[in-house]
Amino acid sequence: MAQKTEAPKKNVEPLKMDPSFKYEVMKEHDGETLKICFQCGSCTSSCPTARFSDSYRPRTILRLAQLGIRQKILPSPTLWLCTACFTCTDRCPQDVKVASVLRVLRNLAVKEGQTPRIFIELASNIYETGYAYKIPELRQKKRETVGLPPLPKASLDRVDRLLELAGGSKLIKSKEAQ
Amino acid sequence: MTKVQLQETEHATPTESIRIGVYVCHCGLNIAGSVDCEAVAKFAATLPYVVVSKDYRYTCSEPGQELIRSDIKEYKLNRVVVASCSPRLHEPTFRRVCEDAGLNKYLFEMANIREHCSWVHLHDRESATEKAEDLVRMAVARAALLEPEEENTVPITRKALVIGGGVAGIQAALDLADTGYHVYLVERDPSIGGRMAQLDKTFPTMDCSICILAPKMADAGRHPNIELLTNSEVQEVKGYIGNFKAKVMKKPRYVTDECTACGDCVPVCSVTVPNEFDVGLSTRHGIYIPFPQAVPSTYIVDRELCLNKENIIVCDKCIKACERQAIDFEMKPEILELEVGTIVVATGADVFDPASLVEYGYTKFPNVITSLEFERLINAGGPSGGHIIRPSDMKIPETVAFIQCVGSRSERGHLYCSNVCCMNTIKDSLLIKEHWPETKIYVFYLDIRAYGKGFEDLYKRAKKEGVLFIRGLPAEVIEDRKTRNLWLIGENTLQQELYRINAEMAILSIGIEPRKDSAVIQRLLTLSRTQDGFFMEAHPKLRPVDAPTGGIFLAGCAESPKDIKDSVTQASAAAARASILMAKGKVTVEAITPRLIEENCTVCGLCARVCPYNAIIFDKEAKRVEFIEAACGGCGTCAAECPFDAIKMRHFTDEQIFAQIDAATQLDAEKKIIAFCCNWCSYAGADFAGVSRMQYPTNVRIIRTMCSGRVAPKFVEYAFARGAAAVLVSGCHIGDCHYINANYQTLKRVEKLWKKMERLELNKDRLQLEWINASEGERLASKIREMQAIVGSVSAEEIENSKKMMRKG
Amino acid sequence: MTSYALFLGCTIPARQSNYELSSRKALAKLGIELVDLANMTCCAPPPVQSIDLETSLAVAAYNICLAEEADLNLITLCSGCFESLSIANATLKADEQLKAKINRILSEAGKEFLGSKEVKHLLQVLVDDVGLERLKQRVSKPLSNLKVAAFYGCHVLRPSELLKFDDPERPSILENLIETLGAKSVEYRNKLKCCGGLLRGFSDDLALDLAREKLANTTKAGADCIATLCPFCFVALDLGQLQIKSKLNETFDMPVFHYSELLSLALGIDPKELALEAHKVKTDKIISKIS
Repeated sequence: MAQKTEAPKKNVEPLKMDPSFKYEVMKEHDGETLKICFQCGSCTSSCPTARFSDSYRPRTILRLAQLGIRQKILPSPTLWLCTACFTCTDRCPQDVKVASVLRVLRNLAVKEGQTPRIFIELASNIYETGYAYKIPELRQKKRETVGLPPLPKASLDRVDRLLELAGGSKLIKSKEAQ
Repeated sequence: MTKVQLQETEHATPTESIRIGVYVCHCGLNIAGSVDCEAVAKFAATLPYVVVSKDYRYTCSEPGQELIRSDIKEYKLNRVVVASCSPRLHEPTFRRVCEDAGLNKYLFEMANIREHCSWVHLHDRESATEKAEDLVRMAVARAALLEPEEENTVPITRKALVIGGGVAGIQAALDLADTGYHVYLVERDPSIGGRMAQLDKTFPTMDCSICILAPKMADAGRHPNIELLTNSEVQEVKGYIGNFKAKVMKKPRYVTDECTACGDCVPVCSVTVPNEFDVGLSTRHGIYIPFPQAVPSTYIVDRELCLNKENIIVCDKCIKACERQAIDFEMKPEILELEVGTIVVATGADVFDPASLVEYGYTKFPNVITSLEFERLINAGGPSGGHIIRPSDMKIPETVAFIQCVGSRSERGHLYCSNVCCMNTIKDSLLIKEHWPETKIYVFYLDIRAYGKGFEDLYKRAKKEGVLFIRGLPAEVIEDRKTRNLWLIGENTLQQELYRINAEMAILSIGIEPRKDSAVIQRLLTLSRTQDGFFMEAHPKLRPVDAPTGGIFLAGCAESPKDIKDSVTQASAAAARASILMAKGKVTVEAITPRLIEENCTVCGLCARVCPYNAIIFDKEAKRVEFIEAACGGCGTCAAECPFDAIKMRHFTDEQIFAQIDAATQLDAEKKIIAFCCNWCSYAGADFAGVSRMQYPTNVRIIRTMCSGRVAPKFVEYAFARGAAAVLVSGCHIGDCHYINANYQTLKRVEKLWKKMERLELNKDRLQLEWINASEGERLASKIREMQAIVGSVSAEEIENSKKMMRKG
Repeated sequence: MTSYALFLGCTIPARQSNYELSSRKALAKLGIELVDLANMTCCAPPPVQSIDLETSLAVAAYNICLAEEADLNLITLCSGCFESLSIANATLKADEQLKAKINRILSEAGKEFLGSKEVKHLLQVLVDDVGLERLKQRVSKPLSNLKVAAFYGCHVLRPSELLKFDDPERPSILENLIETLGAKSVEYRNKLKCCGGLLRGFSDDLALDLAREKLANTTKAGADCIATLCPFCFVALDLGQLQIKSKLNETFDMPVFHYSELLSLALGIDPKELALEAHKVKTDKIISKIS
């Protein structure tokens, strides 16, 4: 399958496939297009990341998802290499929303507690400051010196409330606790 | 049963003395396994007009048939009901039985207690039996109102029109002509030959295309029974099966029959334009012959090119050069009026234009060409004398890449597989290898579809010759500006590795698409097209070359993308089908066509407006409405549209349908779903659900009409007035209607009904519309399951309400 | 006067006053009013969508609600913000069920998404509201002699079905805007490929590879500078050059500008007013070339 392995010394165990996995994906918004992928490879060959990476292959990830080999998808750091450029989605001959299916897979990985550090940081920044990237205090002050108006404050309590309700904060915090 | 309710119906009761025999079939255990057939037969005996009722193990067997025949005589039966399988299966059998016993076949009726009952309710014997009784009740009620019908015959003109002079049209014309019929072969271009004439070799045998086609073209050109009309277009077709009148415009060639094709006129002509036959890779003059083997072998003048800015012909060089004085600029277009009995549509197809797929760089990079351009390049008679040369530097490429599925199997082109491109590329790769064995050839593909006779062998040969097949289409083609070489970048999906391959030439294996102007032929002949845009056949399996309109047949790529062999096969089939009609010399029309009830008719013309076949002559001034029986398909949408009950659809009369609704709603109406299903798609879909043993709730009662367009709003309203919980109207998918487009009327009528229900504050979910085709048994089953929830939610009060409101109308 | 609610996002205030400053000044000169609304929050970019879609939609929609309340369309400078807000806007406008779900969350924060407003990128506003003709007339210092490599980045173009910014395979809006300023737009290979910006911090090597290719190709094409329209692309290509130098020992010295900066210069705004010191790759040679 996806990874190259050394010559096996004993009989190779067949990969465990979970036929229900694809339905898990298809339940989510834009995930329903997973099933129509016919593995042409337009996504991988259009992908700017794949061009420079040995391991990132959107087509392969979709195939693994169709087959339900979740253990090869969700824990894999390659899942997070998508730059959300959406070229794959635009070019897919079958109208599979490739980038969105990959997003769904990342959402599922998060639910399993498989979120890379930097993503948690970005997301918890919103929780703390209202923005994914922190705006340094120094910058705020410097604005006036270059002639920019003061930055309007984000209404943190309301945004936090949103995060609580939408469930995002739970995912961020539970991971932090780990 | 309450007599009072029946009288409420105000609908007809039979006048003559009706004697019905009912036969309930066990079908071995197929029916008896989940339905108590004996009980059903006993029940049937209690129904009005039933004089004899029996159950029998295999009613369709010879003893079973004999039983019916002898009963008809013994009990003086004048109606017969068989409760067994689908009428789509055995109605013809039992109709014959009736006829054998001297009973008009239109006095026979079937109750479908197998596909629609025992098979779909395998685990609830009690309810299944109850439903079977209901179905028999409905059949008996309808049978009592059946009338004997005589089938009409119409004469057939023994001449045929073939539209399109490609290989399919040529073959159809030759077959018809050889059979002895006069054929008009109409071709839009100056020569017959079509796409096949442009190809170099054909797969899988690698014959020279024009070498095998040219003799056929010549045969067609000189056949005493074929009248060749090239440079001509069909402008109008009127009439119906057996009796078409076509107007054909013969455009002037400006060269008379005196032309000996000596060619003296050509060198003197000073204008040149891209040559269509060579897809623009070469040029031709203003006076030209499309290609050396052209039939007719006559020159033609592209008159537009001879005009100056004031639209005046200023040059007469060719006229002077022609010794035989065969050039005549005064020629005028001629209109020919043809009378024919049958028509073969062989209008062919276009090719996909890959310029829209920007990433492949077609038209931007000179060395990216299409497979059709390649055919002309590799052809010895083509612009390069059979050398594949790169447009950028006229050099023979050392590396060639083929890209498959360009415009096929894609949302960015067409969704279907174009059928011929895989084999065409394999053939092309071998042609290159034949001439230049050292050439490196890559084929980028998704799947190789080598399904036909000899195809796999050819595929294997290409691999043996060293053609490299790589699974995964390039994402883009980039040009090296200095060398004009191409970089193809993509994923080798079997290796999961990216490739970046340098090729000196790339050939886009372009797909086949419907003719851009196929809507014109569609309109002229009242054909229908599938979603792909190709012409639709009357039945995809069993009538694959018949058009839904009687007397018209399809051949070649007009029907779907296909290779030469399939085109020729289909053309011969179309010719044979047309010959059958013409040999008989007359055609019988099923007696399900409408009759006008003149005293009710106000000559409003609504019926004529909805008729998909233009089979209703409506003349407001002459106060005339007349049905052309031979042209009528029998859908009944005219009767459904008529607000004055002035149209009687024979064998599917209002009274018969009302009687079925009455019978279906007699018991527990408030728990029932009345479903109207069209014969061709939805009823067949329900049959399919049965064959597949898909289980669904027992409370649905299906009433068959030929088309969903027959379902008049009053039927739906009446079902609600009778207290039905829900009504389903179901037909072929939009675009797939067997009566061209009659189901658009269905949609309009149901939408109107929904609005009405909203206005009356009735829950409009109780009326459902679903398009179900013959293979969508599960769609039907799940629709019934879904509607079961609606039935469960309807309160007694709501039922009463709708009874009241709908009765008022 | 046309007014827009300005959506700044985080990256621009955090490190690119040059982008904000040049955009504000140029738009003011062109008669477009920018309204700074209070309480704006994060656009919920792809990393947040990666965590949880509904959370990201709720956060993005919250901003659109603020604009709806002020009865203004939104303008963004950052392509990331443009993409995230546009996707949320288009998705919720099209999917009633999802809209209802998100509105249930939003109602707790006192908001309701109506779907009555548009999200536009700065470039669209320039083309739609100012127009190329008028823009040309306002150019007082044409950037003749300047060869500019247009770089779109990914996030304004795709998913094209939802963003409707330009033809994603053959975009022309930026090139047209560049030529309107009197400069020459130069073609180069793999123009539409990603800058790698979003991979920074997660897979730095990969990110630098992508940026390097871009810089090599624009250099080869003879460009004097690159024009961007996104803060991430700017960082990837500008700061990226310092990292490429230290990690791969390769020097490009290719100045990177936001289009708004080139626009400001062409409109005759003093370079000193544009905080150009924020650039990592020095811009002096370009400034001297055009003045």
